[in-house]
Amino acid sequence: MILYKGEIYPNEKQDKLISSLKEDMYLTLEKGESLSYLTVIDACDKLYKRVINHEFDNIALPLLKSLNMPYSSLERYAKVFSKEGLLKKIDIELGDLKNGLLSLDENNNRYYEPLGILFHIAAGNVDLLPAYSVVEGLLVGNINILKLPTGDNGLSILLLKELIKEAPVLKDYIYVFDVPSTEVETIKQLSSFADATIVWGGDEAQKAARAFVDIHSSIISWGHKISFSYVDNNVTDQEIMDLCKSICLSNQLFCSSSQGIYLNTNDIDELHRLAKRALPIFVKVSKEMNTLPLTMKAKNSLLLYNDKLEGNVDNIYQDGGVSVVVKEDHKLELSYLFQNIWIKPLIKEEIVNVLKPNKNLLQTVSINKNIKDKEGITRLLAKAGATRIVSLGDNSRMLAGESHDGEYALRCYIRIVEVIK
Amino acid sequence: MSKMSSLFRTRKKKIYCLDDDLFYLAMKENCSFHYKHNKDYKTLLDRMHFSPEDINSYEDLEKIPPLPTLYFKHHNLLSLKSNRYWVKATSSGTSGKNVSLIGLTFTDLLRGWDMVRRVFSYHHLWSLRPHRYIVFGYEPHKGNDKAIAKTAHGFTFLSPALSKDYAIRWTKDGYKVDLDNLEKKFIKYSKGKTPIRTLGFPAYTYFLLEQMKAKGIKLKLPKGSVISLGGGWKSFYKEKVDKQVFYDLAYEVLGVDDKHIFEFFGAVEHPILYTDCRYHHFHIPNYARVIIRDVETLKPLKPGQVGLINLLTPMSVGTPILSVMTDDLGILHEEICPCGEKSVYLEILGRSGVEDIKTCAAGAEELLKGDKS
Repeated sequence: MILYKGEIYPNEKQDKLISSLKEDMYLTLEKGESLSYLTVIDACDKLYKRVINHEFDNIALPLLKSLNMPYSSLERYAKVFSKEGLLKKIDIELGDLKNGLLSLDENNNRYYEPLGILFHIAAGNVDLLPAYSVVEGLLVGNINILKLPTGDNGLSILLLKELIKEAPVLKDYIYVFDVPSTEVETIKQLSSFADATIVWGGDEAQKAARAFVDIHSSIISWGHKISFSYVDNNVTDQEIMDLCKSICLSNQLFCSSSQGIYLNTNDIDELHRLAKRALPIFVKVSKEMNTLPLTMKAKNSLLLYNDKLEGNVDNIYQDGGVSVVVKEDHKLELSYLFQNIWIKPLIKEEIVNVLKPNKNLLQTVSINKNIKDKEGITRLLAKAGATRIVSLGDNSRMLAGESHDGEYALRCYIRIVEVIK
Repeated sequence: MSKMSSLFRTRKKKIYCLDDDLFYLAMKENCSFHYKHNKDYKTLLDRMHFSPEDINSYEDLEKIPPLPTLYFKHHNLLSLKSNRYWVKATSSGTSGKNVSLIGLTFTDLLRGWDMVRRVFSYHHLWSLRPHRYIVFGYEPHKGNDKAIAKTAHGFTFLSPALSKDYAIRWTKDGYKVDLDNLEKKFIKYSKGKTPIRTLGFPAYTYFLLEQMKAKGIKLKLPKGSVISLGGGWKSFYKEKVDKQVFYDLAYEVLGVDDKHIFEFFGAVEHPILYTDCRYHHFHIPNYARVIIRDVETLKPLKPGQVGLINLLTPMSVGTPILSVMTDDLGILHEEICPCGEKSVYLEILGRSGVEDIKTCAAGAEELLKGDKS
């Protein structure tokens, strides 16, 4: 499906519509009008209220079921589209710039302009993400072309079409195409129209974008990240339970999901003690939450059994389909996902040395509240590259106005114009 | 004669009559052989506190530590010196890495031959009548060691071949999928009298049938034509359709009913020929046994329960593939099959691990696809 000026078209119309796209977008720019963020926020807020008033439950409920997520997750994610959430985002990310013309000195003013045209290459890892990426572009007045991710379930087009219904002016600012990633020439063409190409996805997507994005169009990358927990022996059972809940909820698939626990120690026996403590809690939480699919349980068992055959017999604690694996090295790595965590030693003094080489991959670190020298440890984690330091269990929390991997997206989607008074 | 070879000389009529005593003795013999000749395998069994001496009855076979296919991808486990191998085959890994290497000796091949000729004979697949072969798989090429390519090629010798056409053709740029060519061949050959035999990946067969249906092509293949499938749906698991949907489509487009559709199952790590019966059930042949294991504990389950498929055979002295744990989920059925075969039958449900998982954790996509495992 294609969304073009508020109308839905079949994919067969793609070439015809793309042939008129540049001209249509330039006509919008030539009008010299500015899209107010208040218009966008108002439309988003109306849509948000319709979502939480169950108007879209026929789509949302099966989606939540397929992701093993409770309804509260939808409310939490939808809240980022609320007026309160978006106004806070504008306040924090644009600061004074939101007020329009600002004085630079006695002869000059400054204000922000949208970059102009954004081309979003969305990833399919969160179903709301493609639409959210477009909303971010709209908030600062950009025209947005969205390439849907492979396997998109139609949610993005539905949401954006409904958004246009709430504020028809947005029809000139939203274009959605379902171009397969294999149609490189079409993607190149769409990218050539844009001031910036926004690439969501892992290393492969980022590498591919570098190969095709026009030299005069910039690339804004939102790459994949890795997150973990850092604790000392003061960690409580309740905190371990909170961590396990967040692990079972996300199945460790988010960039913010904890993949494992670093313990502030050099004593390997302490790692085993923590593993023995954590396993029964993990098993209990996993059983209660029931979010582990049978096929992944099977995959976990095979991977762990294979590890045992390869000699790692005494370091694997597993039960009920979940596992805690003690590892003596320091390397930050992905777990086996789906409710498998590692525990590794990492003394405070080694934090920067061990973690800094992962500088562009680090995201969230969850720590125990009563960790010794909390201030020193959080400072070192931040120096090493972490962008969010949260409580155990809060790895995947979402707050209105928080940065995206340490950056403010809206700031990336504008340019500053200086003009004489 | 060794018990292993005796097992593979099971008479044609007895293929699906399971001789548990002979199977247990052959397995014990095979396990002892590898334990004695393969240092790595011995270390592995020692680590798991198991010795061939522990096999004292058929029931003890479940205690043999099964080796996951993943283990074969990480380790070269050949038991003998290189010059003893007549065939070395790899699994169908898409990236060229992460593949299992299985070596078969002359004796292994003889046993395999004993099995293949009897199974094909049992299912009436040998023929003196010439056929045209359409292979939904790889065109043979000297650099292709994939077992699936070798077996598909072997299949074209079941009767005199008037022609052989392939879906995955070797070109100067490497292998290329060319379904359009096969469509033309189907149309051309359907006008003749020579029966056609197809073999290969169900996904490619299905894609071509769908393509032909969309074009409104309806053929009637010559009498005696057979569609056979093997190799699984691989990376096209999302497109996998119900068997009946496939049979209906084959009848609609090629005019071949499901009595003339066969499916084969096997793996490079378990080179046993499973052929489905008239009711499309994979009965267990006497050359092998299947244990379904609990997905959490890996303990054996009773028939009717879903679990990981553990395949057993004493076929090879070249590689210790006597007990292999696949990453497929399945069920063993002991209900009476209308076809009359007495042995239990295996239903393969699909692969463990959900591969269309959405993730933004760095490196997770590769891990879930198996590229990192």
